[in-house]
Amino acid sequence: MVDKTKKEFRKRDLFYLVPLWLLSLIAPDPYLYHKKEFKKKDLFYLGAIGLAPLIWSDPHFNHLMVLAGIYAILALGLSLFMGYAGQISLGHAAFFGIGAYTTAILTTRYALPTFVVFWASAVSAAAMAYLIGRPILKLKGYFLALATLGFGEIFLVIVRESTHLTGGVIGIFGIPWFSIMGFSFDTYLKQYYLVWGVLIGLFVFSKNLVRSKIGRALLAVAASEDAASSVGINVPRIKLEIFVLGAAYAGMAGSLFACVMSIANPEAFSLGLTVLIVMMVILGGMGNLYGPVAGAILLSWLMDILSKYQEYSLPIYGVILILLLLFFPDGIGARLNVRVIYLIGYWAKKKKRDRGKL
Amino acid sequence: MDFLTYLPQLFTSGITIGAIYALVALGFVTISRASQIINFAQGEFVMLGGVTTFFLLKEVSLPYPLAALIAISMVILIGFVMHVLVVYPLRKASILILLMATLGASIFLSSTSGLVFGTLPKALPPFSSEQPLHFWGISILPQSVWVLLSTFILLIFLYLLSHRTLLGKAMEASSTDPLGADLLGISRNLMVFLAFGVSAGVGAFAGILITPIFFTSYSSGTLLGLKGFVGAVLGGWGKSSGAILGGFVLGIVESLSLAFIPSGYKDAVAFIILLLILYFRPKGILGSPFIDSRRW
Repeated sequence: MVDKTKKEFRKRDLFYLVPLWLLSLIAPDPYLYHKKEFKKKDLFYLGAIGLAPLIWSDPHFNHLMVLAGIYAILALGLSLFMGYAGQISLGHAAFFGIGAYTTAILTTRYALPTFVVFWASAVSAAAMAYLIGRPILKLKGYFLALATLGFGEIFLVIVRESTHLTGGVIGIFGIPWFSIMGFSFDTYLKQYYLVWGVLIGLFVFSKNLVRSKIGRALLAVAASEDAASSVGINVPRIKLEIFVLGAAYAGMAGSLFACVMSIANPEAFSLGLTVLIVMMVILGGMGNLYGPVAGAILLSWLMDILSKYQEYSLPIYGVILILLLLFFPDGIGARLNVRVIYLIGYWAKKKKRDRGKL
Repeated sequence: MDFLTYLPQLFTSGITIGAIYALVALGFVTISRASQIINFAQGEFVMLGGVTTFFLLKEVSLPYPLAALIAISMVILIGFVMHVLVVYPLRKASILILLMATLGASIFLSSTSGLVFGTLPKALPPFSSEQPLHFWGISILPQSVWVLLSTFILLIFLYLLSHRTLLGKAMEASSTDPLGADLLGISRNLMVFLAFGVSAGVGAFAGILITPIFFTSYSSGTLLGLKGFVGAVLGGWGKSSGAILGGFVLGIVESLSLAFIPSGYKDAVAFIILLLILYFRPKGILGSPFIDSRRW
């Protein structure tokens, strides 16, 4: 038995050992999970994000990843509200739109620097979320979903109709590139690093938030609001706080979106976008911060492939949406982790564990 | 006093569109009573009813009643298929997943209809003459009368169906007391299946009624569905009578609002009503069996 495990090195083992090792970096190892704060996995992701646009230096790919990063910021904020606090919001596209329009109006009309406008967008979206969240957030389930959906529709109508302010259905053109102290982000590559830099900053912030007292309170609220309030958590307040925070994320994403696309028009913030973001959160898996980012990359990539099929893209999109929900109702990661990647991660680290290193 | 002269006019058109909202709301309530599901594709049934009839009338050139009948049965079939393929496999999933799945079905249905029947807005010919009738200075389209009459007949038919037939009574029992109905051997899945058929049929019927008055295009279903839902919440969620009342109230309020605000903002009115009603009286006008004031 002992001899059998101590085989000599064969070259053909590399065929599966190298992919296995790579997969083991991505896959969560349950035995390792609680030991280190900053995991090898994170370093791998960081390296992949930094190097990806340099390896595939295709402008189309870079642009796609810029969009994916913006959607990931949006989905991250929504994931805090949906995945951690357990609420439903279908009005997130409206906050995205508020951010984009704030940026568009302030830069084109008043010529403010984009760095200032970026924060102004976040603040305006958050302020709107505070105003709308106070009455709405006492609702639950379907009714919360519908109320937020109604808010999104009202936002769209107002944007379409107040032509003097927002340019109506045509929108606002000529929004300048994002720039900090004279350094302008004018290529897709620079925008990529800008967007993903913002995303990583917000990600680290969210991760700390989730591990803080507020994060624990959110999980308690998601499990049971009655129980949470009985242990002294101010449930309405914490829901409002996380709603406002999610809206601020959306405002930042909207500001970046306006700067990258240099146009803001109402079609970009319709119900379709809301469906897309919520799908990103669901596919990534609720209650997991890596999920929305993975979901954003996956769905942006899917939308890009589908756009080749022109008029057939929407029916196919609908079918794929339903199929994904049927087969992965609690996130692609959840099932794949359990079934495939978990097994591979376990297998790859088995030898190490047997030697007593772990 | 130009203002007062067209208020009655707006009122009558409000009742007409209110009848449509009432039917859509009834479709929502039928499904939600049977299964606690909100079907976001309800508006697409309405759109499909109108568009399919138009297709059968113009391209296949069938007589009007036959085209309407075939369209309604096709939409009922689509409702059944949607239940079997989308809702039944997800019957134990969470609210959010079901909501997204019906939204996905809605995207699929509307875009497929745009692909098959074309994206141009369509208008059916009215059921009878186009000459408006005049009563006391108000002109009423004959089609409006048709809409009200047909809605009334359909409601009576549905009432008889649910209170006088065994199947209807079984559906009623299953939605009033699911556990009791289970114990009596009524299959709840079958009842949900039938509820999808009924609500699809009602939706298609509403679509055929509305298409001669308003243009129906492949994308108009979503907004109509949402407004029907607002009507259902307004009248009292989970009550058929509430849905009908709420639909009419919503139609009239929305139409009367045209006298006070620019017409472009009309679509926002329904949602402002939704926010107000959810905040001040979530039970709706008639009260709701599902919502007590403490929990919601």
